[in-house]
Amino acid sequence: MAGYLIKRLLIFVPTLVVISWITFGLSLMTPGDPVMGLCAQEGILMEGEYERCARQYGYDLPPFYLSLSPAAFPDTLHRIQPGYRRDMVRKLVAQTGNWEEITVYDQQLQKLLSVAGSLPDSLDRQKKIDLKQTLQELRGAYKHSQIDFQIGRLDSMASQTAFLPFLGEGASDLKTAWENVKSKATPKKLRIPDLKWYGAENRYHRWMAGLVTGDFGFSFQDKRPVGSKLGPALYWTLVLNLSAFALALLLAIPIGVHSALRKGSRLDRFFTVFLFGLYSLPRFWVATILVVFFTSATYAAWMNWFPSVGLGEVEAGASWAERFWVRAGHLLLPVLCQTYGLLAFFARQMRGSMLEVIGREYIQTARAKGLSETRVVWKHAFRNALFPIITLLASLFPASIAGSVVLEVIFSIPGMGFLTYQAIFSQDWPVVFSVLILGALLTMIGIWVSDLLYGLADPRVRLGGGPKT
Amino acid sequence: MAGLKKTKGFWRTLVVERFRSKRAAVWSLRLLYGFVFIALFGDFLANEKPLYCKLEGKVYFPVLLQYGEALGLYQWKPPLVKPRWRELPYEAVVFPPIPYSATTRDIKNTHFAHPFRGQRVESMRYWHWMGTDQLGRDVAAGLIAGARIALLVGLGAMAIASFIGILLGTMAGYLGDQGLKTTWLRVMLNAGGLYLGIFYGFISRSFQISEANAAGGAPLAIFTGLLWLIFFLALANGLSFLLEKVFRLSKKVRIPVDLLVMRSLEIMESIPALLLILVLAALIRKPSIWYVMVIIGLVGWTSIAQFVRAEMLKVRQQTYIEAAQAMGLRPWRIMLRHALPNALSPVLILIAFGVASTVLAEATLSFLGIGIGPEEVSWGKLLSEARSNFNAWWLAVFPGIAIFATVLIFNLLGESLSDSLDPGRDA
Repeated sequence: MAGYLIKRLLIFVPTLVVISWITFGLSLMTPGDPVMGLCAQEGILMEGEYERCARQYGYDLPPFYLSLSPAAFPDTLHRIQPGYRRDMVRKLVAQTGNWEEITVYDQQLQKLLSVAGSLPDSLDRQKKIDLKQTLQELRGAYKHSQIDFQIGRLDSMASQTAFLPFLGEGASDLKTAWENVKSKATPKKLRIPDLKWYGAENRYHRWMAGLVTGDFGFSFQDKRPVGSKLGPALYWTLVLNLSAFALALLLAIPIGVHSALRKGSRLDRFFTVFLFGLYSLPRFWVATILVVFFTSATYAAWMNWFPSVGLGEVEAGASWAERFWVRAGHLLLPVLCQTYGLLAFFARQMRGSMLEVIGREYIQTARAKGLSETRVVWKHAFRNALFPIITLLASLFPASIAGSVVLEVIFSIPGMGFLTYQAIFSQDWPVVFSVLILGALLTMIGIWVSDLLYGLADPRVRLGGGPKT
Repeated sequence: MAGLKKTKGFWRTLVVERFRSKRAAVWSLRLLYGFVFIALFGDFLANEKPLYCKLEGKVYFPVLLQYGEALGLYQWKPPLVKPRWRELPYEAVVFPPIPYSATTRDIKNTHFAHPFRGQRVESMRYWHWMGTDQLGRDVAAGLIAGARIALLVGLGAMAIASFIGILLGTMAGYLGDQGLKTTWLRVMLNAGGLYLGIFYGFISRSFQISEANAAGGAPLAIFTGLLWLIFFLALANGLSFLLEKVFRLSKKVRIPVDLLVMRSLEIMESIPALLLILVLAALIRKPSIWYVMVIIGLVGWTSIAQFVRAEMLKVRQQTYIEAAQAMGLRPWRIMLRHALPNALSPVLILIAFGVASTVLAEATLSFLGIGIGPEEVSWGKLLSEARSNFNAWWLAVFPGIAIFATVLIFNLLGESLSDSLDPGRDA
């Protein structure tokens, strides 16, 4: 048994590694520049500040241990800062495949940009603005027709007598560099696969090393560590889900056992139909209905039964009991919504599992021995019928945490689900992917615990090995 | 063989009769037909265009013409170019039962018109029976358009999930860890084919794919990439077939199919599905319900694979498989023609329950405002509008009933199917 569990635990390691690859791969596909997300205040970042920030958070490193890319791409592409400059170079290389010429073009453009930034005040202001705009357009341009057009504009601007002494040389250099890019294209290099190896100094490695030590990175939104946001969020999600689980079990066990014992009775048939309907009832619909009708006096004063959404206000010096009542009042509706779906599921499982046990021979034996009905039902049948439910619990718990996303959103409970929802809409990717990987970890722990419980509850189960001889 | 009469199979005699004997089952099936009807013919039920009209002596069928336009066969000609359909000088006209499309904005009835009172309409013919939303769009028309989306996502996603699940489950269950033997050469060549296929299909085309994505043509670009991948894999297998013949390679290695499938299944199961769907849907730049369908399908195959695998393990032990093997049939043929069909019918149960949970997942996603395009109308999106205005109870009630009814129908179907296929289950 212990051997099996350790083996399972070891299998989890490669699974978790693959999940981390998937998560990290998805995080590379997110829109926006992460360096801006981490360091920019309201979207603005100083020139030198960018490099410092990129270095601090490892964004000047290659993404992974190795990369598969066409031979046209250099293995130092990741060092180009900032992100939009790197994007332009990458997109240009992807079209013509001549890295050297494009580097020259890129550097000429950078030189011109710095010249344009320090033009004397005597020049016409509007023309300076036009010039800067043209150069900025070129910075982002990667389509050949677009670049041709902007370079033409730049040429005519630089040839004006006032600008000629400052820009003449730079503009013509840029033009030649761009002509070179086009004439010395090497598209063949784009067709040659090239596997590049970077070693352990990469972003994935850093990210994983951080995860192992509990460092989830920093939120783009408020630059706080993600871990400090996950903690309280996990607390509220656990409060919501644990109370729902407890409540659902408390109701499901008597309903399930009773239905199984009086199979076919009127009450059993009622419960079967009722629970089946309940099971199909979308939680977010019920939640919306409850919020719309019963948390405000919109329809009638007497219908304002429950406090509005959120967790409620608690004064700083409030006593424990006071705090509890406010929170409980606000959590009542979400817990109810989370409970009824679980209740329907558990009660059906309990009934089925109880029915199976009751038909067994050892129950007949117990009855034949003359044991009291209570003892037969609760001591012999119920305990055995509980195994499948227990294993179900452990694996269902992580799933139900993910499932409470929509309830947390509707009732504005600052749990994991609400956090994820907000993070997705504000493009706060570190939070999103931390939640994803944490969810996977919790699920795997859940599966492992359910294996453990199954083994503990039923000693006949010899997991992993065949029957012993 | 001439005297052999074709007997009714397992399906006809037992399953269908048992199914028909249940009231709930029969009713769920009838409701399903109704639901499918609404989804298929929604354009004829709720549309701002007339079904039939006579204008300047000529007869038109604008709803049909709308299909022609969508297929590229027809272009609107005057007087039908962007008209106000209600105000044309018709000589004769027949409007659909609900004379609004899901996206029609009734400017006289904006800001949540009540379904029972206070609507500004010329006659009861144009009454909004389920009210309107903030922009004046008819809720009943929205529900009809939503039915199509729900059915599309539900069936489409389950089709994808079933395909992957049945394929992987069959291979894992039937071949196991010992069943698939092949030469080292083929393994190496396939690995090479995969490497080249991924490179030429996706990596060297990544610029083109991202350009296509920005222009809204990502599916085609990805499909082309897949074709490249398939081409290289086919090339690798063709080459290894030839080389095996030429060099008479006979030394085989075993491919642990079951192990590989079970590991990938464990990985998929470990990532909370709803979270993964949320993240994937949020990553797509131009959201559309089609992506939601594909994503749910790609994530939802695990339970089907597990189930088919377990069934195949049972089927593999049967004597008719042994007989087929003794006859010298090829393993793929036995697997697909003899083993799989016998493991398949119980999968229907899973599919029925799967459609229910997919409809629920789609509604949840659009309720949260993730994955659905700005022009698309779905039940979850309508329901979410109720949150911004508590007064509009009709937006909270009607779409919810539609979602509940659909989920209930498919759950009932699944339940009735499992009773009919395995009557001893609950006895």
